[in-house]
Amino acid sequence: MDFLFGEKEEKFRAEIREFVKENMPDGHVHHIFDEENYDEEWDFAMSMARKLAERKWLTIAWPEEYGGMNAPAWQKVVFGEEASYWGIPGLGMGVSGTGWVGPVLMLLGTEEQKKKYLPPIAAAQDDGVWCTGYSEPDSGSDFASLQTRAERVGDEYIVNGQKVWTSCAHRARWMWLACRTNPNTEKKHQGISIIMVDMKSEGLTVSPLRNFAGGHVFNEVFFKDVRVPVENLVGVENEGWTQLMTALQFERGTAIGFTAMSRRLFEGLILYAKETGEMKKAGVRSKLAQLAIDIETARLLAYEPVWMAEKGMVPLHQASRDKAYSDILSEKLTRIGTELVGAYAQLDILHKDNKWTKMNGGLEHLFYHCPGLAVAAGTTHVQKNIVGQFGLQLPRSY
Amino acid sequence: MDYSLGNDQEMIRKAAKEFFEKECPKEKVRELKEDPKGYDPKMWKKMVELGYVGLVLPEQYGGTEGDFVELAVFAEEMGRNIAPSPFYTTAVLCALSLMEFGSEEQKKKYLPKIAEKGDVWSFAQTEEKGDYEADEIQLKAEPEGSDFVLNGTKLFVPFATAAKNFLVVTRTADNDDPKKGISLFIVDAKSDGIAIELMPTAARDCRCEVAFTNVKVPQENLLGDLNDGWKIVDNALQYGAVTKAAEMSGGAQAALDIAVNYARERKQFGKSIGSFQAIQHTLVDLLTHVDGLKYLVYEAAWKISQGTPSKILNSMVKAKANEVYHNVGYHGMVTHGAIGWTEEMDIGLYHLRTKVNQFDGGGTDLHLERIAGELENLEPDYLKLYG
Repeated sequence: MDFLFGEKEEKFRAEIREFVKENMPDGHVHHIFDEENYDEEWDFAMSMARKLAERKWLTIAWPEEYGGMNAPAWQKVVFGEEASYWGIPGLGMGVSGTGWVGPVLMLLGTEEQKKKYLPPIAAAQDDGVWCTGYSEPDSGSDFASLQTRAERVGDEYIVNGQKVWTSCAHRARWMWLACRTNPNTEKKHQGISIIMVDMKSEGLTVSPLRNFAGGHVFNEVFFKDVRVPVENLVGVENEGWTQLMTALQFERGTAIGFTAMSRRLFEGLILYAKETGEMKKAGVRSKLAQLAIDIETARLLAYEPVWMAEKGMVPLHQASRDKAYSDILSEKLTRIGTELVGAYAQLDILHKDNKWTKMNGGLEHLFYHCPGLAVAAGTTHVQKNIVGQFGLQLPRSY
Repeated sequence: MDYSLGNDQEMIRKAAKEFFEKECPKEKVRELKEDPKGYDPKMWKKMVELGYVGLVLPEQYGGTEGDFVELAVFAEEMGRNIAPSPFYTTAVLCALSLMEFGSEEQKKKYLPKIAEKGDVWSFAQTEEKGDYEADEIQLKAEPEGSDFVLNGTKLFVPFATAAKNFLVVTRTADNDDPKKGISLFIVDAKSDGIAIELMPTAARDCRCEVAFTNVKVPQENLLGDLNDGWKIVDNALQYGAVTKAAEMSGGAQAALDIAVNYARERKQFGKSIGSFQAIQHTLVDLLTHVDGLKYLVYEAAWKISQGTPSKILNSMVKAKANEVYHNVGYHGMVTHGAIGWTEEMDIGLYHLRTKVNQFDGGGTDLHLERIAGELENLEPDYLKLYG
């Protein structure tokens, strides 16, 4: 048993902090999705991504032969923690390239595909920016019911249909598209494929979907007779469902980043409560103490699947458990946090540089984004279904 | 970072699990509910023989030199089976206080008798206020010749009827700071002037009112320094919080298993009730926090075992245990429907222990306040980096 990181990991942590001190503005508080929303934030994120790429930190989890660092598990944990705590932008690179497009291509892609697509991702080039086309207007949590059609005609697929909630489609060069290549199957999970679509294709239109707080993260993407070469198929045609499950495993990952981000906001909140005198109030003390317990609990839970994998056990429901808990905890942290910020918490997050904004608006930003985070990559409720089914071996509830 | 138990820890887990499954099935727990002693001396004797009572004591005092993680793992198994015994008050609160603050003479005199003979000791702290703060300590100990004379009443004193000795928290001087002027005495339970009365508690775990009327205690029975006893109490509370939380963690794991099994088996509307999301998601929330508590306990215990105990973590662990144990008991009962409310179902045995568990080792508010106190001294990493 050991509840500390090793010397090597702590050395790496110190190295990352040096990098942060050199390259990031003092007092930076990460606002999730701002890089998608603002051109200048996007440029900063891409410039940071290239600096991270130079150190191979951008692709810390990738094997060396594909330009990665192939870091051991606990070193990746340290990186995930530090990146989120300090809010280093650029790691999402369109929230999919380094995360699941790359790793799935390494598993299932052809040599040509690997050669073509992996290096631009690893080097943080503009051509390495990806978006992911999963959700559709009538296919949300019931993902396998997707309808976007890719009909094979000769050496091409002709794609027709619509995707929605597509993050970063307005920044991406490529789309990782889940589509139906065979509409006449017995079960909805059959006949699905993954294809890679050039966002510059004719017939493809991206239309912004502003969120309720005024930010532009999501898009609708429309396909009208979009032609995609057959060599852009990933893996096996019509076997896309199991491949997508592999991709989702990469996407769901761990809650390590989330807990570190929460800790950053929480630490700021403690200082704020001390400065404003709120920390003297019994009710405030009690709420902050409870948050401290929640954050430590989330941190220890998030390490569990890493430890399990290290020891040759197979984590099953843990990632879902931790995603659901992160969702619940972001709501709680921002509810308590914004109460402490008081009336200032109503300031518009689109004006975070306003002179009245407290703590860089980090809490308000997360407050308005946490409902979105709770539905992204599997809603809180869907995650609980998974935990119930696989963690508690209860009958399938949906 | 490694959550695996070491060999010794795994061994004690296995042995303790087998021991309590065999020695303390639920029939035994139910039987002891009707027994005013509140525990089974035969089972206690076996615990002594197996070295459990002296688990973390040094060999020279009759112990088996285990580490604090072993103690936590043992307590977890004891809690899983809700085994009634004077373990917590004897082996944790009293023995560890003697170990850390006793004179060599006191240690030699008392510890082997606890570890090898199974002398029951009882930590007598709580008074009328019913909490664990310093200002409630009113029981007076006044010097008289070479003795001290004790007057006052302690409440919820565990297993007082079986105790050989009490470790009594007394007030020896009045002070503006209630933490000052506190002293601890080792008091022979057979001393004149001690009156013991059983308090009717839900868990029937022999909690007593112990009245001290002109009880004479020789000066050499002072534990630690005169008027400086609060640090002993605080130390006992730190160990107590983690050990009790470990016990509650085991209990919560077991209670959740019981609820999940019931939800799987019980059918309504032609389906197992665990297939309904209202029930399933409630159980999932419990699982998350039961898992979380388990690792919090291990982390705190591991830090103690490394000689780097963390006050904030110890308090987090107990506050969390209080919340989790309550939730599992309550929702475990409700998941069962009406049958859960009957005497025959095991879930109620766990739920009956919610309150004693909550206050042993400190209540939630006490620990939240301690956490807040520690948070005030927190220096964020971002300030450290940029200055």
